[in-house]
Amino acid sequence: MQRSLLGPLPQSRRHFLAGFGGLGLSGLFGALAWSGTEDSVVFPFVNGGRNLVKTFPQKGAMVLQRERPPLLETPFEVFDQGIFTPNDRFYVRWHLANIPTVVDPAAFRLKIRGHVKRPVSFTLDDLVRKFKPIEIAAVNQCSGNSRGFFTPRVAGGQWANGAMGNALWRGVSLKALLDRAGVKTGALQVRFNGLDTGILPQTPDFMKSLDVDHSLDGEVMVAYAMNGKPLPLLNGYPLRLVVPGWYATYWVKMLDDIEVLDKPDDNFWTAHAYLIPDTPHADVVPGQQGVKLIPINRMPPRSFFTNVQDAAKFEVGETKIVRGIAFGGDAGLAKVEFSADAGSHWREARLGPDHGKYSFRQWDVDFRPSSSGPQTLMVKALTTAGESQPDRANWNGSGFMRNVVESVSVQSV
Amino acid sequence: MRKTSRFQRLVSIASTVAILVMAAGAAWWSSARADSPSGKKDPASRQWAIVRVELPGSDESFPRGVGADIAASQCLICHSAGMVLRQPPLTKDEWRAEIMKMRSAYGAPIPDDQVDGLSEYLQRISGQP
Repeated sequence: MQRSLLGPLPQSRRHFLAGFGGLGLSGLFGALAWSGTEDSVVFPFVNGGRNLVKTFPQKGAMVLQRERPPLLETPFEVFDQGIFTPNDRFYVRWHLANIPTVVDPAAFRLKIRGHVKRPVSFTLDDLVRKFKPIEIAAVNQCSGNSRGFFTPRVAGGQWANGAMGNALWRGVSLKALLDRAGVKTGALQVRFNGLDTGILPQTPDFMKSLDVDHSLDGEVMVAYAMNGKPLPLLNGYPLRLVVPGWYATYWVKMLDDIEVLDKPDDNFWTAHAYLIPDTPHADVVPGQQGVKLIPINRMPPRSFFTNVQDAAKFEVGETKIVRGIAFGGDAGLAKVEFSADAGSHWREARLGPDHGKYSFRQWDVDFRPSSSGPQTLMVKALTTAGESQPDRANWNGSGFMRNVVESVSVQSV
Repeated sequence: MRKTSRFQRLVSIASTVAILVMAAGAAWWSSARADSPSGKKDPASRQWAIVRVELPGSDESFPRGVGADIAASQCLICHSAGMVLRQPPLTKDEWRAEIMKMRSAYGAPIPDDQVDGLSEYLQRISGQP
């Protein structure tokens, strides 16, 4: 339990790396997601072929979902390399194609206006020098992460599991900024807008709102650094809203405008987009009508295998390390459980260092197959709030909030 | 084959357009000096650097066929073709719903008399790599 996951490799892991690492990543991940060439991947769903590109600024190899506006997915192998996703591999998702390609920090201002006592405007220098910095490790996950796995399929960005990332965010608490402006009595919501705009004047500007109480919780923050460096432009340079535990749609990029509202936000992106069925797991039957819709909000827990994929081979009687990552969503991880028999029996995995309740956390188990044949491995995260992942995948027409228990089919010989 | 050549084209485009990233990171954290475009030194500019990037274009196009011209003239206003080409196979009605959403939510100027032809075209090509 206390064995360091980041320390020297235990014997069994060396075996694992020797056995599988020797094949290179294409061997380890070869069966499914990383089939194809070094320039492409094939996700395990219909029309799942994707190119890996290095053509985007400040980004290494990324899975190309769309050039304009950019949708770039993190290759899943990155998640096996550490629990903090490197900035140059962090996924990218823009709604609108007018994205400033030059940001002059000297001219940049963050404005706070609306239902406040004193409208204020901050330079970046103000944020760094005049406010106490806070740091939070937090997972940023697209609402539609894993949409490609929805059955039946639904329209939208056809992500596999890589529309997520974990970073150490540094910045100023939104509360400190709002306190400077003085939120007036009667304020209901706070609306966030960034520098991006649509091509057509009639396209609604991308804005999202949070309730005032949430905005003042001291954790929602305006981040100016990500993993110790300024944000890549495509991840929101120079400022991005960080809403720990909530889906990334709220994490407004290139944030330059904060408006306190004394009535509910009726803009398209808050009132009519990113809505989920108000049911457990946002789950409905395809075609189901008359379900109440609410704005997507907190994230439920998820867990993944990062060093084993479908068709991986193990040797009977030999112990290997099986590992992955997990996160609790808006609550901390209580434990991660592993099953080697398709969910009939579960045992607790070892957990790596804890970087706070909103962060990825590594898990691992010793896995020693006792007989030959196919086996289904499963992993499940449980939170301190008593929530766990569902055994059956949820479904909704937008492809949001997938968090089914993940499984891989392996062979022991 | 097609994927590889597309990728190679992208790479060649990228290498010719010279992606320029003016060291956002290092300057700020090492408190290196960066000047604003006017040449004046702003306090902020001592910690932050101008970031200038070039975003790659898209050379993906819609497959030939009746309706491809509508897709090219309408869909590409706001997004590249890849968004469409990577969708799963969808029915004509599902495509029509997408088109209507593009019109009503985002203001796509797709005329009434092109909706049916575009839905049919998209249904025909969808799911093809």
